[in-house]
Amino acid sequence: MDWLTGIFFVYSFIAFYFLFLFLLIYFQNRKVYSEIPPITKEYPLTIIIPCYNEGKNIGEAIENLLQSDYKGLKQVIAVDDCSKDDSYKILKALEKKYKKLLVVQTPKNTGCAAGSKNYGVKFAKTELIGFIDGDSFPQRDAITKMIGFFDNKKTAAVTSFILVKNRENLLARLQAIEYEIIAFSRRLLGLIDSIYVTPGPLAIYRKSYFDKIGRFDEKNLTEDIEIAWNFISHGYKIAMSVDSKVYTVAPTKMNAWFKQRTRWNLGGIQTILKYKKSFLKSGMLGQFILPFFVSSWVLGLSGLFILGYRIFRTAFVQLLAAKYSVEVQTAVITLKDLQVSPNLLLFFGILTFFLGLWFTLISLVYSKEDFKKEKWHEIIIYAIFYLLVNPIVQIKSIYAYMRGKRSW
Amino acid sequence: MSKNPKRAIWEALLLTFLVFFLGFLLGFVFESSQAKKMTEYYTNSEFYLMDAIALNSLEDNGIFDCSSLYDSYFSFADRVYNESIMLQDYEASEQITQEMKVIHRRYDLLRTFLWSNILKNSKNCEGYPKSVVYLYEYNTEDLAKKATQNVWSKVLYDLKQAEGGKIILIPIAVDLDINSLNTITKSFNVSSYPALIIGEKEIITDLTSVQDLKKYLN
Repeated sequence: MDWLTGIFFVYSFIAFYFLFLFLLIYFQNRKVYSEIPPITKEYPLTIIIPCYNEGKNIGEAIENLLQSDYKGLKQVIAVDDCSKDDSYKILKALEKKYKKLLVVQTPKNTGCAAGSKNYGVKFAKTELIGFIDGDSFPQRDAITKMIGFFDNKKTAAVTSFILVKNRENLLARLQAIEYEIIAFSRRLLGLIDSIYVTPGPLAIYRKSYFDKIGRFDEKNLTEDIEIAWNFISHGYKIAMSVDSKVYTVAPTKMNAWFKQRTRWNLGGIQTILKYKKSFLKSGMLGQFILPFFVSSWVLGLSGLFILGYRIFRTAFVQLLAAKYSVEVQTAVITLKDLQVSPNLLLFFGILTFFLGLWFTLISLVYSKEDFKKEKWHEIIIYAIFYLLVNPIVQIKSIYAYMRGKRSW
Repeated sequence: MSKNPKRAIWEALLLTFLVFFLGFLLGFVFESSQAKKMTEYYTNSEFYLMDAIALNSLEDNGIFDCSSLYDSYFSFADRVYNESIMLQDYEASEQITQEMKVIHRRYDLLRTFLWSNILKNSKNCEGYPKSVVYLYEYNTEDLAKKATQNVWSKVLYDLKQAEGGKIILIPIAVDLDINSLNTITKSFNVSSYPALIIGEKEIITDLTSVQDLKKYLN
């Protein structure tokens, strides 16, 4: 067995493991997948919206939030992080219109979402605090369906089901598929106490625990991942409400998408390094979340390497062979060149692909979005091409991290 | 909430081991069955070669017949050439075992044996089909060489289609540690591979078209 085959088997093993894990969790917990605990107490809640250059969406986002049917929503705090656009002006106008809305501005730009979120928390006095991104739109009942989870005293945070609002081009539609899969996977991970992120579009926290663990890490580029790991490392639980749907605006241009993903990956690296000492130690963080995170990096990078190496070698040999074939007037390509020999690698590769596709389809069906919205060709493009781009972002992120990039 | 959250974690691990075990088992059975099939072909081919060698040994008794001898060489080479194409396909499927490599080596030994006998008879049997021996590297990692060998295979396939009755085509891998082959190639002063040896005289190391190769055969 050559080294490349060895790497492929390691890749297949990790891929199979996680696919089987997700499928097993799903099949073993189908009945409780959508379980939402009823509200027994109307916990007072403050929602904080960080805002930096969100003039385009912030007005609509706040008006949408204020239509929430949760009666315990006491205050909405909009934190302007010294925007360069007209966000602050829009917020101030809204403040006059809505009693519940408090608009504050950071003394100077904090340079990150965590900074403005932490600043906003200073003004919150309620038992629960929530955060919503300035370009996110929760459904009217989204918050209400999250509250019952706080009856469990160990619950520190509750996350929501995030979906893509804008689906005007292929990139946005591919992200729509991705978000549905991520949300479905996160719910499954929640069933084994392993939710590793409380995403920015909508998450609610118990303020006492939030304060106790030191709030958001302002040095981390993905404060929503870091805080989840922080909670878990302190023995708290994170739940997810699958019926709390939030629609967020996804990048529609490749460079914006690439920039966003690079930031996510950089934050991922920061978080892994911050908690590296917990690796394989007791608790779900060390025994599952960290190995899961690291494995997903290994999967992405080794997958890209195997594919890239194979494609490069095959293309080089075939191009050279084509050139030589023309020179000696023989067939450039024959049926034999197109023949695929059945072998174990091919078998594992096909099995991985179809298991992945099966999981994707289950995710799309369970997201309860209109499944037909995602056309088949988009699902195939997502499964084959879109997923391949992520490892490229990972490489770029490693490079950026090594060069010392730590800012938004 | 799942009653035992960690249950799925361990079950998935067991399931992965099980799928891997079954996959490897199936792969092993599949590769072994292909190796068994190739071994049967090899045994038959070995029989044909031994028969040809027995015919060759009749020279000592004075009842030597070039025509019969070359007929048997020709049919053996033809048979082994077709089997080599099959072997190539099976080798591409081999991921776990190394059986095909061993069979390949044994075939190369048979082909070397054939070549050495043809060399031995060449003086007594002038005018009979010429041997076209294709020497290549089996284990090369040089991509340019792989491309060259790929094209040589196609050229020789075309040559065989065009001049099938006039040549005894013998492809042999030179890097499978066969001493007799090393001795023969040394006697021809072949220093780089792939190389083509036509008859006993022409050594070609550059890719050549079928049309040009035909000139060497006449």
